[in-house]
Amino acid sequence: MTKATNSKGKKEKDGSKVWQFLCSVKLAVIIIIVLAVSCIVGTIILQQRTPEDYIRKYGEGLTKFFSAIQLTDIFHSYWFALLLVLLCVNLGCCTVKRWRNTILQIGFLLTHISIILTLIGCFIDLQFGEKGGVNVYEGKSVDYYLRRGDYKKIPLNFKVYCDDFLIEKHPPKYRLVSYVKDKDRQRNLPVKIGKKNKIPGSNYIVTIKDYYPDAEYLQEPINISSDPRNPAIYVQLVGSEDVAAEGWLFAKGRNWYNDPRRGLKIEYLWANNDEDFEKLIKTAGKSHRPELNIIVDEKNIHKSVIIEEGKRFSIDNTYYKIEIKEFTLDYVNRSKPLKEQSPNNPGVRVEITGPQGIDSRWSFAKYPDYWDQAHQTKYKDIKLICYVPDDFSLASKKLRIVQNKNGKQAFSYIKDEKVISITDWEINKGYDIGETGQQLQIAKYFPSYSVRKEVVRKSDNHEGHDHMPGEHVGNPAIFVEIDGPRGKVEEWVLSQSPAMWYPDKNFALLYERSGMEVKDYKSILRVVENGETVLTKTIEVNDPMKYKGYVFYQSSYDPEGEKYTGLQVTKNPGLVVVYSGFILLCVGIVFIFYVKPFLRRKLKKGQKVENYYSEDEIAAEHIEQ
Amino acid sequence: MNFMLNITFYLFILCIVAYIVREVWRAKALRWIAFGILSGAFILNTALVLQRWYEANHVPMSDKYESFVFFAWSIALVYLIMELVTIFIARVHESRLGIIGALQCALSAWMLYFAINSDSTIKELPPALQSNWLVVHVINYFISYSALSISFSAAIVYLIYRAIYRGRAQEIVMSGAGSQLSRDVTFDKLAYISVTIGFPFLTVGLITGSIWAKGAWGTYWGWDPKEVWSLISWLVYLAYLHLPMFLPKTSISKSFRPILLSIVLLVAFPIVLFTFMGMHKLPTAGDSDHIYAE
Ligand code: HEM
Repeated sequence: MTKATNSKGKKEKDGSKVWQFLCSVKLAVIIIIVLAVSCIVGTIILQQRTPEDYIRKYGEGLTKFFSAIQLTDIFHSYWFALLLVLLCVNLGCCTVKRWRNTILQIGFLLTHISIILTLIGCFIDLQFGEKGGVNVYEGKSVDYYLRRGDYKKIPLNFKVYCDDFLIEKHPPKYRLVSYVKDKDRQRNLPVKIGKKNKIPGSNYIVTIKDYYPDAEYLQEPINISSDPRNPAIYVQLVGSEDVAAEGWLFAKGRNWYNDPRRGLKIEYLWANNDEDFEKLIKTAGKSHRPELNIIVDEKNIHKSVIIEEGKRFSIDNTYYKIEIKEFTLDYVNRSKPLKEQSPNNPGVRVEITGPQGIDSRWSFAKYPDYWDQAHQTKYKDIKLICYVPDDFSLASKKLRIVQNKNGKQAFSYIKDEKVISITDWEINKGYDIGETGQQLQIAKYFPSYSVRKEVVRKSDNHEGHDHMPGEHVGNPAIFVEIDGPRGKVEEWVLSQSPAMWYPDKNFALLYERSGMEVKDYKSILRVVENGETVLTKTIEVNDPMKYKGYVFYQSSYDPEGEKYTGLQVTKNPGLVVVYSGFILLCVGIVFIFYVKPFLRRKLKKGQKVENYYSEDEIAAEHIEQ
Repeated sequence: MNFMLNITFYLFILCIVAYIVREVWRAKALRWIAFGILSGAFILNTALVLQRWYEANHVPMSDKYESFVFFAWSIALVYLIMELVTIFIARVHESRLGIIGALQCALSAWMLYFAINSDSTIKELPPALQSNWLVVHVINYFISYSALSISFSAAIVYLIYRAIYRGRAQEIVMSGAGSQLSRDVTFDKLAYISVTIGFPFLTVGLITGSIWAKGAWGTYWGWDPKEVWSLISWLVYLAYLHLPMFLPKTSISKSFRPILLSIVLLVAFPIVLFTFMGMHKLPTAGDSDHIYAE
């Protein structure tokens, strides 16, 4: 190298060895390679996780090693920063050393200076920039944002109003997806009527047979046999003018109906023979009552009492005395009369008197552990469980409808646990219920109740424009035939319903929504400073609002409804510098690779190449001498 | 749709054969046959891109399927331009460029193969992708990738020639005689030229990507894995461009230097491809905003 320098007769800036090294391409190449390798490592080792995450993933030893040399946050580590500083120094030194005022040098100078500029700009942003976010409710305003990382409230000296927030949506699209168990692979099938789709890697063949753009599941009750396999009746309670309540009752399923408004309970029973029938129709039957179970594990005590407000009792072998203070069917509405409460959240309040005084507790039927977990109880050894039967009713009046195989059918009217009257009934006839003014009518009787499911076209009023499969619409459905190891199966697959499985449970089809739902979201923002509106702008993704060095980006939205807009707030004082770097880099690079080669051709014959090129470039043989 | 895609794919396969035949027999007529078939494949590929554009209602380079088709298209385009330039501007009469042609066609075919096997349903663009910067960014990257792929092919051919002929100067792509060139161009030189064409586009791609990210997410650089890998690709080519100035000062012999440089290119292009389509394999992929599951 010394030889080259001498022979070219340039100003000897032999300086120290350190200077030579700082200027050298050797250092440049080393830095570039080290940077590249660090970058690779930074995407292979997980970054910025908790220590537990690292220990779980890499083990104790490696974790220690990683954090010792800052491999867990490479891009913010000291050595990475040092590397970038070194890069700047190298660029700066070589630029200074090479500085000559010739046109051909422009590219080299621009590119190298631009990279220094960019890095300086980044540094300014890192030091003086701000970044954070804030949600603004529609019609409300904020005068602060939350800083990223620590969520500290940073004040803005102006207010940002969100006057309106809109989400634009795409019309829905659907796709038919097949799924083969254990193959871990989904496949999209084209929805084309008549098309046979062989599912690769399996023996299933799916044929699309029909398509409804807007389909509906009809569930129609039907009777499938005259044998009483699943007896059901359709009961109507008729008031003075119209039907007050109606519905199906199933002798072998949900066989009761509670009408708290009218203080009436209806039940439907099936008798196996005539003897049974007589018994059922003539007895009032016992209705189940809510119970309180008291358990003291240590003493092996298990006591169960019917819940009645004001009831007091003591527990044998203990000091405890218990009083039932309050019972409710719906805790939130417990101030209403009990008869008007619906059984949403039944509970009982109990006072336990013991050596440490009174302990008052609620015990809820649906959340047995709630109270103990949420409160400090005095007597931990005593456990309360509130039990409320499903068909619990406070009604004093009861209708009991009984039928049997031999065709006997009657109902008894029961009041205050006493049978008042017994009436034989027939389909579709009205019968007075005592003196209540109501009538009972049994509109249908299905000995073997079942449901026929049928998919139908919803509204066929799309006349004129036929939709292609996959375009627009309400709730599309596809009729498919699946041929597999268990033969052919035909079925409707509706969008928005669960996957449809082939009988062998190894293959499924799903007709689901696909693609992005949200097309765009926009907020109309207004900046108010000192009580005056100074700026209004509709922002959307890719189109932020700028004010006083702050930039407000549309970054998220309220997933439920459109109540608030999510803004990202940044302040990048170094941005101008960074962007200048970008521009210079583009110009410089275009110059080096596209302009310089042509300029070179135009060099006057007499002028020596050496006047325009560094010895390094000549040595690199990239120019034609 | 799918039918046309398959035809294009097979045409590219045919091109590989045509270019190999052309290199074996070296008849002038064959040059135009291979060129013609590639032009046909290119036109069909253009139609694919346009049709998709029309159907999807957005510039067709947003999902996997679209970018594979578009990449195949740009590979063919850049190679065709290169061949036209050597014939009509550099006026080269003797050239071995067809070897590169065969490799480029193979790459195009490979990309179309991916396209055939990926989900081609049209998806709506998420709001962040609805930006003009995206279009500039992606086009720059694909032109760059196509030029860089030529450097990769040339490096492979150079290394093979060097292995076979052991420095008996057989590695010439274009002879300078009777052309506008002042001297013969070897495969390693061709690789270097391709990098000087591709690298500026790579740089502009990186910068426009950063500007777009600033507009859409508010951060021009967030050390996202995808960003980091595009920086890595850029750094490797930067190292390649600076190496020739540094190598003469080392004890590495003059004849070995092009081999070393070719090896760098051999490493560099797979990094580019990884950045383009291998990101979901990274352990840190879950942290990324820009990597979508396979
Ligand atoms: C896009 C980016 C870059 C381009 C286009 C570029 C281009 C060039 C060119 C054309 C030269 C030769 C100039 C001459 O000797 O007259 C050169 C030299 C050099 N470059 Fe870069 N460069 C870039 C980035 C970098 C970076 C990031 C570094 C630092 C790590 C760097 C360090 C050097 C060094 C040290 C020289 C040596 C010149 C000498 O021998 O004194 N360059 N570069």
